Amino acid sequence: MSQHLPCPNCGADVVFRSPALPSRVCDYCRSLLVRSDSGVIKVGEAAALPFDVSPVQIGMRGRIDGKGFEVIGRVRWAWTDGAWNEWLLLFEDGGNAWLGEAMGQFMLLWERSLGQVRSPALRGIVKGQDAVIGTEVQLDHQKLVIADAREVVCVAAEGELPFTAPSGWKLYSVDLRGQHGECATLQRDRGETSVYQGRYVTLAELAPRGMRAIEGWTLPAYAA
Amino acid sequence: MQPDAAIRAEPAPATRALTCPSCGGGVELRAAGYTVHVACQYCGSILDVTDPQVKLVTAYHQAAAALEIPLGTRGVLRGVEWEVIGYLQRSENGAYGWDEYLLFNPYHGYRWLVYARGGWSLGEQLTVMPDWVAHDQLAVAGEIFTHFYADGVARVDYVLGEFFWRVAVGETVQTADWARPGAMLSREENAQEISWTRNEWLPSKEMQQAFGVQRDPLPWPPLPHQPSPWGDWLKTGVKIGLVAFAFLLLFAFQFGGTRWDAAGTFPIAADGREQSVTLGPITLRSRYQSVHLRAEVPRLENGWLDLDYSLVDRKTQQVYEAYGAAERYSGTDSDGAWTEGDRRTAVSIPSVPAGSYDLVVDYKGNRWSNAPSYLDSGAGWMDAANAPQVTVEVRQGAVYASNLWLALILIAAPLLFGLFRHLSFESARKGESDFAPSGSDGDDDE
Repeated sequence: MSQHLPCPNCGADVVFRSPALPSRVCDYCRSLLVRSDSGVIKVGEAAALPFDVSPVQIGMRGRIDGKGFEVIGRVRWAWTDGAWNEWLLLFEDGGNAWLGEAMGQFMLLWERSLGQVRSPALRGIVKGQDAVIGTEVQLDHQKLVIADAREVVCVAAEGELPFTAPSGWKLYSVDLRGQHGECATLQRDRGETSVYQGRYVTLAELAPRGMRAIEGWTLPAYAA
Repeated sequence: MQPDAAIRAEPAPATRALTCPSCGGGVELRAAGYTVHVACQYCGSILDVTDPQVKLVTAYHQAAAALEIPLGTRGVLRGVEWEVIGYLQRSENGAYGWDEYLLFNPYHGYRWLVYARGGWSLGEQLTVMPDWVAHDQLAVAGEIFTHFYADGVARVDYVLGEFFWRVAVGETVQTADWARPGAMLSREENAQEISWTRNEWLPSKEMQQAFGVQRDPLPWPPLPHQPSPWGDWLKTGVKIGLVAFAFLLLFAFQFGGTRWDAAGTFPIAADGREQSVTLGPITLRSRYQSVHLRAEVPRLENGWLDLDYSLVDRKTQQVYEAYGAAERYSGTDSDGAWTEGDRRTAVSIPSVPAGSYDLVVDYKGNRWSNAPSYLDSGAGWMDAANAPQVTVEVRQGAVYASNLWLALILIAAPLLFGLFRHLSFESARKGESDFAPSGSDGDDDE
């Protein structure tokens, strides 16, 4: 399924591992690339990722809920009061999920179909209304509360992605939290809305291999 | 092809260096990518570092406070190394100040080191919310916490170092706390969010080893989550006490309680005359003990045996007496066969002093003249052909029971003392609560 193609900008070999992930950033020239039936085209240029001390990196592998995964992409987002990383995990069965990393805590989120979202509060947000913090929302069998709603902006991206993430791309983002570590995020891009649902996880739970080495810090026992 | 091989080849640097736009000092960012605000360690100015271009938020020109644990200090707590990256001084609007150090490890995230009224705690922000289990109790991860403080306010009075949110001196949050021995559950709320933190009690000794801080005497009155120093002591004490007592019991039964000695078997004369035998010497070692005597007459039938025991001190000729009888009857009536009585008899002589004794047993067999099977004259059960005899046994050692009681008291006394200390500690600890029963503490406003 993997497809190796030359970067139309610099000629370096770039890999597309899944048809579900048609976008990527060239590892060498940072061109934003999109693959289609007619080949690979450059649609823009990704900004440089600002330095951070995240323990996750592209190529890190792990296992959760009995399925192995590899980290293959990242989008860094910012809002008025900070920034965070969303790492894209490609599972061995071809599926993908996001590992959100903010304030030293991690969230594992799967995209779910918007058609199944029945909550009137969420449907209202999809239609363009503003989220009201504190609103209780029923999502499947989970009771969640709207914890946060704000405009976020894409800082930079790397690796393979399901969508093109140009720097400066703005979204309306709503965070929901459950009582026992459940969480969800709704992202609205003008007319289009995506919903992600999942839970808080710890890095240890992910049984990570190939974590990023950081100078002066010992890799934790769970990654050994 | 490994496109990311270049990134992995050598470790990423741990810090990002920047220059304070206010004082020009070099500031090292220890949690780059997470940190939002930094209070410059030279001038105290607050800088926004979310963008590569550092922005000055608030300019200060003050000498940085000397911290008990300087920024950049590392220490190992419970197996994980932490670096101190930020410091907050907070208070209840000016009263009851406390210190909070922000700890960071790129692989473990953030923790808080809280120093309040002489006690240290390690705080971790929760990703779950507690459940109510009673009107004044919350449960989280299997632990139950009882409401301790309500309607508190925490104000930021001073900041230094870096933080993952926008810090501002003077900022306040609403607080409430729940406690259990060993940990506290703290709730902080502002207009935007509610957060829960579990603060675990850190013994002063552990903090001294980890961060080299000076050791404090235990705070008094106790902190809300301070574990009673008598709690563990009691648990261990009760375990040791139980083992010791079980051992003593075993020992007593093995070597005291079941020891029958000075036994003898003697014939009973057919003519029913009084007979006498002497058993001994019997040596009694304890200062005082009771002496148990038992006799068995296996062939006894429709008659009785009188037993007069005299325990005679060989030295002083002091006599201790007791009387016993074994009797047994049987027959047949309209309801069928019947039996009555017991062929065995047991008596005891209490409080016999130590010494060497002879046991004189005077015994006399008797026949029940109305016995249906022996209407004719004859010796009955005492007939020589029946070979009637009595077996006498002597046991000492019930004294061991009193020794046992003494041992039990000796074992229990320190435990009761510990229990008393533990209960008074717990009562002092709970007395500090906003929910303490009125009258138990002077803090009550009413």
